[in-house]
Amino acid sequence: MRLRVLARLLLAVAALLAPLAAARAETPDEALEALLTEARQQCAQPSDRLEKILCGKRLRVGVRDYYPLFGVREGGIHVGFEPDIARALAERFGVETDFVRVNAATRIPLLGEDRIDLILATMGHTTQRDGQLRFIRPHYYQSETVVVGPKALRIGDWNDLATRTICVTVGNVSNAQMVSHNTRLMLFDEAGVLPDRLKDETCTLAAQDDSFFAFYFTDRAFAERFEPKFGFAQVPWGMGVTKTGSDKLARALDLLSQIYHRDGTFLQIALKHRIRTVFLEDQQRIWQRPDCNTADGSGNDACVLPALNLELKPTPFAASVTAFEDWVEKRLGIDITLPMLKTQSAYSLFLNGVANSLILIAGALVATFAFSILFGFSLGSDFKPLRRLAWLVTMTLQSSPIVLTLVIAAAFAHALLPYSAAVALGASILALGLTNGSNAGQAVSEAVISLHHEGGEKGMTLFVHALRRSATSIVAFLINAAKGTPAASFIGAPELLGALTDVSSFSSGRATIYCIVLIFYTVVVMIVVWACGWLRAWLEGRQVPA
Amino acid sequence: MKLSDIWAEYVPALLTGMVTNFEISIIALLLGLVVGAPFAAMRFYGGRLAIAVSAVVISLMRAAPTFVVMFFLFNVLRDVTVFGVKLQMSGMMTVAVSLVPYAAAYTADAGVEALRQWDRGSHLGALLFLPNITRAFFVIVMASGAAAAIGVPEGISVMVREAALLPTLGDRLMVFAVGIVLFGVPLQLGLALMRWLQRELGRRIVRLA
Repeated sequence: MRLRVLARLLLAVAALLAPLAAARAETPDEALEALLTEARQQCAQPSDRLEKILCGKRLRVGVRDYYPLFGVREGGIHVGFEPDIARALAERFGVETDFVRVNAATRIPLLGEDRIDLILATMGHTTQRDGQLRFIRPHYYQSETVVVGPKALRIGDWNDLATRTICVTVGNVSNAQMVSHNTRLMLFDEAGVLPDRLKDETCTLAAQDDSFFAFYFTDRAFAERFEPKFGFAQVPWGMGVTKTGSDKLARALDLLSQIYHRDGTFLQIALKHRIRTVFLEDQQRIWQRPDCNTADGSGNDACVLPALNLELKPTPFAASVTAFEDWVEKRLGIDITLPMLKTQSAYSLFLNGVANSLILIAGALVATFAFSILFGFSLGSDFKPLRRLAWLVTMTLQSSPIVLTLVIAAAFAHALLPYSAAVALGASILALGLTNGSNAGQAVSEAVISLHHEGGEKGMTLFVHALRRSATSIVAFLINAAKGTPAASFIGAPELLGALTDVSSFSSGRATIYCIVLIFYTVVVMIVVWACGWLRAWLEGRQVPA
Repeated sequence: MKLSDIWAEYVPALLTGMVTNFEISIIALLLGLVVGAPFAAMRFYGGRLAIAVSAVVISLMRAAPTFVVMFFLFNVLRDVTVFGVKLQMSGMMTVAVSLVPYAAAYTADAGVEALRQWDRGSHLGALLFLPNITRAFFVIVMASGAAAAIGVPEGISVMVREAALLPTLGDRLMVFAVGIVLFGVPLQLGLALMRWLQRELGRRIVRLA
């Protein structure tokens, strides 16, 4: 009886201790130790990359060699946040590190070619890249795009950025977001030039990863002049390994990343290299939570961050467009890319750009003709104050480059109305009409004066004859107005040039895009020239050509 | 904005920027003369085919909007490799080259007229080519302000940058007004010189006739 009671008691104690033991086995530290021990026993026939690393005693890591604070090479030694993380990982594995220089274009191919075991090179985790490699979770850092500008410039949010030009790099993941807030983008190929363009005042504002600008803000002279205005488009950074043959390596790195967040290892390395630690401090709090500090924590959606989803919705005919591009390349040997037809957002920008360009051209032509009559009448008027006022305005407009007139029109428009595409188009039409109309009006007034001297005609008849006599000048300035419309993109009018510049900022195919813009505007101007021939004939009272 | 700031900082910066506008315009005009002169000769001395070809090319050059040509060169030609040599134009050169179609078309038109006058024996009439080219030069100076759109530090970009830092419309208008005066003075002087030259040549032509 006593023995039975004792046995039951022992069973009960065992039942109570079993989950505790299991829970203990589920800590990331123990799971990692078990995984490493098992991997070290496979040296006779290593299959997973982790086994090869542990048995070969070398960890090949792809790192940046010119990304200040994060990965630079100084005297042959890799220094920075990421090389130090790599060293910490290698130390835990008990192996040596072999650093391999990578950049944004080479890091994933080098991994695929088995020339590196691990990417640790400022790589943002996006859903597109999820198809190419296995990202380690939790992420070891998070960057965001930050808008940097002079301290004297007051920029609080997106509303203050509408119609302003921001210098960016082509292909930056956040360009599409900036475009959607009506900013204008000036494109550069390399991020490295942006601080210099800010300093030499080519750019008033620049947008790039905060991790990129972090180094420049350690320079006192730069920090005294510029400041980050606001950030957006947060991107988690992840280490990456191959999708196949690296299951154990990925698992070990997942666990190590959890431990390094929880214990503040990542945070200490970040502090050493003076990079922003807000994200790492948040992560430390998360990974110290009991629900996250488990062996399965890296698979817990409540603990890890999602990948950034940048995939743009394709158009229904995107596949046909791709097939057409391939056909042209195969048959004609011409490499064309039509990104404006492949995604919904680009297609929408393209269609709106074409429509707005046509509205702008039509508006500029009508405004030029209307202002030429108004200025012609005023400059040829017998009423002295009106004539003098018209002369003053004409001289001012003639002395102002068209781009400046557009900027002034936009300044007035934005002082009176909030930014919208219609306001930008309206301001552009007004500026183009005033500039060209005043010049054409001067020709009309000269015709009025010459007819006046010749005598005979007065009033409306004289003015109609003056219009006929100055038809050539009017037509010349109408054509000039049509040719000047693309300049409206400078003040944020969403015409074709501006729209396709926006498309090219987040997609490939710049050559094709600008060829299309050039052909579009040249053809439209030639049509205007042809139509103006009819107008001139009509103004001159001749029979229009058949 | 204080008047002292305008004189001490803004005006010198603007004048420096305007030097770039003039440099761009001189390069564009010289290239325009080189490109346009053969087309003028083709149109005047050539056969039917040469006349047709030059007419089409001149029409295309006349129709190509400078702003679009500039963006085309800035975004496309900087990636082009010709015979193994990568073409990399500076921003200033890009703008100058984008103004060449206009300058060349203008040169071709004025050149044909000059050749016609010369052929008729009116050498002074042919000299009207010079004031015409002077007019084109000032048009190019004004058009070179487009360079601000690709970040070339010329006059307009100085004005836009300065204005962006100012809080009120009144201050910005002050900046623009100074710019208009500084751009306007050489323009109006140049156009006055051109008109005087045309008048003088016209008088001499009449006297000789």
